[in-house]
Amino acid sequence: MFALALFYSIAALLVFCAVMVVSRRNPISSAIYLVISLFLVACLYATLGADFAAAIQVLVYAGAIMVLFLFVIMLLNLDPEHLRGPEMHGGEIVVLLLTIGGFLGIVIAMATAAPTLPSGIFTLDAIEKVGGNTLVVGMKLLVNYIWAFEMASFLILLAIVASIVIAKKPKAEVPSTTERGH
Amino acid sequence: MAVSLQHYMVLATILFTCGVIGVMFRRNLLMVLMSIELMLNAANLVFIAASRNVNGLDGQVMVFIVMTVAACEAAVGLAMVIALFRKYGTIRTDFLRVLRG
Repeated sequence: MFALALFYSIAALLVFCAVMVVSRRNPISSAIYLVISLFLVACLYATLGADFAAAIQVLVYAGAIMVLFLFVIMLLNLDPEHLRGPEMHGGEIVVLLLTIGGFLGIVIAMATAAPTLPSGIFTLDAIEKVGGNTLVVGMKLLVNYIWAFEMASFLILLAIVASIVIAKKPKAEVPSTTERGH
Repeated sequence: MAVSLQHYMVLATILFTCGVIGVMFRRNLLMVLMSIELMLNAANLVFIAASRNVNGLDGQVMVFIVMTVAACEAAVGLAMVIALFRKYGTIRTDFLRVLRG
């Protein structure tokens, strides 16, 4: 009963924050609402027993990615023409209604299905007995999914190189050194 | 009545819809990137909620990899935003039409 009440309260806050993210004019407001949403998603992971995922979510998403977003918003120093809310030209209202209708259909189909409760041997008690969620997820990551792990680290290296190359200032024309002061 | 998979999937669908609407109707490139992050989080939520029912913790490992990919994509996307702003002075998606035919 408490679990259900907790889920509904976190879910209500999360939906509110998500709607605020896409509807605010100021990108800073949207970024702050997104930080709150990401933290609430980490709370949901914690209620599901995924401790490692919750910690990594707070550290990586709310702590690194959103800080990066806020830095870029600060550096860009946007003028008011960029600070507009959602814009809907002419026929796009139809697209909006179709999107909402489509996802509403999915929501109704799922909400009326028979509830699927957690099953299997990976119950929270069994995981606690072995040594905790982080240990089990870590073992699985480094034993079964070692290739994905190494690929992910290589991908990070690629992203570092790519973002530095893309965001670097273009080189100004270098004056010829043979003509200086001779 | 315990919290079932359907609860989490309905919530993830609502989050995903918000992200899709943000990508479609926001003209600021930074807002589009933030909406993409919202969509990725909705997918992560489904992964972790479903990993309870699939008798394994593969969902939680997948979330780790997805977060890595999302971080890389955010970094490269923001680098592109900076480069575009430096070159064109705007990051409104209406005006950035160099690749359009």
